[in-house]
Amino acid sequence: MTLSFRKTLLSASVSLAALLAAQGALAQEAVFVLNTSEVGAPTYNPIKATNLNKATTLLFDRLVSQAADLSYHPWLAESWEEAPDGMSWTFHLKKGVTFHNGEPFTAETIAKWLDLFKGSENAYMAEAIAEVQVVDEATVKFVMARPEPNMLYNLSSSYMSVIEPKSFVELGDNYGVTEVYGTGPFKLESFAVGQETVLVRNDDYTWGSPLAKNTGPAKIEKLTFREIAEDSTAFLELKTGGVDMLFGVPADLLAEVQKEANLAVLTLPGQDVYYMPINVTKAPFDDIRVREAAAKAINQEEILASVFGGVGTVADTFLISALPESKVSDGAKIKYDPARANALLDEAGWVMGADGVRAKDGQPLQVSLWTQSDSIFRRLTEVVQAQLKAVGIAAEITTFDSSMIRDQYKTGEQQLAVRSYNWDNADIVDWFFGGDRLGYPNVSMFNDPKAEELRAAAMTGAKNMEERVANFTAYHDYVLTQFPMAPIYQPVNSVAYNKDRLVMPEPLNAADVGAIAIMDMEVKD
Amino acid sequence: MSGRALPAPLRAFRRPLGAVAGGWLAAVILAALFAPLLTPYDYDIQALKEAYQPASARHWLGTDEFGRDLLTRLIYGARTSLSVSGIAIALSVACGMTLGAAAAWFGGWFDRAVTVVVDLTWSFPEILIALILVAIIGPGTTGTMVAISVAYLAQFTRLTRAQILTLKSETFIEAARSLGAGNAHILFRHLLPNALAPVLVSAMLATGDAIILEATLGFFGLGAQPPVPSWGGMMSAGSALVFKAPWIIIFPGLAVAVTVVAINLFGDALIAELDIRARMRRQV
Repeated sequence: MTLSFRKTLLSASVSLAALLAAQGALAQEAVFVLNTSEVGAPTYNPIKATNLNKATTLLFDRLVSQAADLSYHPWLAESWEEAPDGMSWTFHLKKGVTFHNGEPFTAETIAKWLDLFKGSENAYMAEAIAEVQVVDEATVKFVMARPEPNMLYNLSSSYMSVIEPKSFVELGDNYGVTEVYGTGPFKLESFAVGQETVLVRNDDYTWGSPLAKNTGPAKIEKLTFREIAEDSTAFLELKTGGVDMLFGVPADLLAEVQKEANLAVLTLPGQDVYYMPINVTKAPFDDIRVREAAAKAINQEEILASVFGGVGTVADTFLISALPESKVSDGAKIKYDPARANALLDEAGWVMGADGVRAKDGQPLQVSLWTQSDSIFRRLTEVVQAQLKAVGIAAEITTFDSSMIRDQYKTGEQQLAVRSYNWDNADIVDWFFGGDRLGYPNVSMFNDPKAEELRAAAMTGAKNMEERVANFTAYHDYVLTQFPMAPIYQPVNSVAYNKDRLVMPEPLNAADVGAIAIMDMEVKD
Repeated sequence: MSGRALPAPLRAFRRPLGAVAGGWLAAVILAALFAPLLTPYDYDIQALKEAYQPASARHWLGTDEFGRDLLTRLIYGARTSLSVSGIAIALSVACGMTLGAAAAWFGGWFDRAVTVVVDLTWSFPEILIALILVAIIGPGTTGTMVAISVAYLAQFTRLTRAQILTLKSETFIEAARSLGAGNAHILFRHLLPNALAPVLVSAMLATGDAIILEATLGFFGLGAQPPVPSWGGMMSAGSALVFKAPWIIIFPGLAVAVTVVAINLFGDALIAELDIRARMRRQV
């Protein structure tokens, strides 16, 4: 390549870039960065996926939307009634709704869609529905196998995003990867797993949730969701104007964001819990005293202050404290208690050695501690390691790639681990401690007969919401007393955006920045 | 070897660049060996209240995100980085020389098989081979050592094989054979010693690359597991904190850079002293 030709190329590409940038400013276009916990989500198939990212909420609509105060509001369903005994639900659907591929959305769609849940990853979400009756084109009736107080929550979850059944069946495993059809305010233009998803506006959209001011077509025409695995890289992109919004900013970067005049932070209640699963089947943790000791060696306050800069709150149960089911008895809460931890280990026969590691019958108290490669987990795990060492437990860290660690858990070889989940319903206790999900999601390998009984009552035995809350609180309470994990930390959800570029709707009538917020969001010219 | 008074590694010190580079390497190796004597701090005891301190009289290079003395971590990190890459390369040289010599000596289908396999591994980037192996063996120092030694195996096998093939037809070998020397005698007394110098220099240069590879694996969290420090692991932790406490990534980064440059400069000086560049170029 000659030098002058290179120069020509260079100037051509520069002017092209300038042209593109200019276009970007005129057309309503924005670039968002997904939360690191959503990086690598392999599909937009809500029925089969166990990890869905934020863009899912724009491709699909749901029957029900949930407001900031966690109350339920219409969306694709205009209204609904529950029978007094909880054994049936009737939903009145919006008319004139069409999917991205032109198929109409009717009562028939609902029947076919719910049928697809059978035998899928997320079958439990719809399993209380025994039969779906199509009353007329816009009315559908669910005949229930049992009362399901969680019905509206499930219907508002992104895993119950309404898909287009015909293309879903035709495309098979390609649905959600190469093509995807929903009724949402945006259509899929391209999707590269682990890299980016490009969405374009659905100009026919008129059926948005009433929680947003704008129920017609979105104001933004084109959205790019980038996946950036490292938070500091994402922050640099935001700072230099490469992207317009980050869906998740970790506590230790908040101070840096606040230093920038053009950036703003929106703080929302968090839905994450960081915790340390304890494998109850692996010695020495088959001894409940050793489990309790390990759990009570974790100094949550110290971690909150040193690792998370005091942003967020400590966790002393498995659930986020916004949930009523987190209100367990005081005795069940798991809090830092080094004296108790030491006493329990003494009692269990683990004698403190000169090197600060306990031993029993000549065997040192040495355990494995698994973590994933994201920097925040690695940092947190090193503090946990030091805290365990303080009571005489020598934990050896093994770091796995974040995308591979779930498969590692399935081997059941773990002893301790540090991980987190993101969910805002008590049924997460069932998900992570159900005896039929050993390995992953049940990293703790917890399978206890009494817990299974309480679990059944919580999942399927409640007739109404009060009963469900009571049953789940009892189940959660009992699980905590068996120490299959130690709760650590609950972050807040910090969304950072460039306020020179984006106008954020205020007040935000949703629990997070998702479809409802983005409907009202605008790009400044 | 020649009859000159000093061995080649010491003669390399007579060249100015060789002396500076060799001095740095000697200092790093000594520091790694005598780490506990050099620093009053432990590399693993956390003092969370003293986290993120910049350089001061108490902590010459500041403290890390857990309040640990960064200089201490750097010195112990040298232990990890140098021992892992050193042992890995030694292992690689031992296996590579055996394999290469055997291939050249026996020839035939064995030679072809070894060449094909070795060339195949050589066609992949070292980092890819290392990542695959660490994924199989599991993260940690042992996994890293094996991964690095396999990644560099091809280079030493090829080099030894080429050396032996040329030497095999030299007159002094024919002379030894006609005097009744056996296979083992010729291989171990005549051929390998003559092939050794270029392999050792190449091993020295490869150690520089191995330090970078070790740091890369450490950066991905696949090297030495915490709290044991490694330069790559320290840089990785520092990368997330580059705005808050830039020194956590800068110092281990400098340590890797300076040490690798020093190894290369010293290797150059050594090559010049041994006068083997021409031989290596002809035979690889």
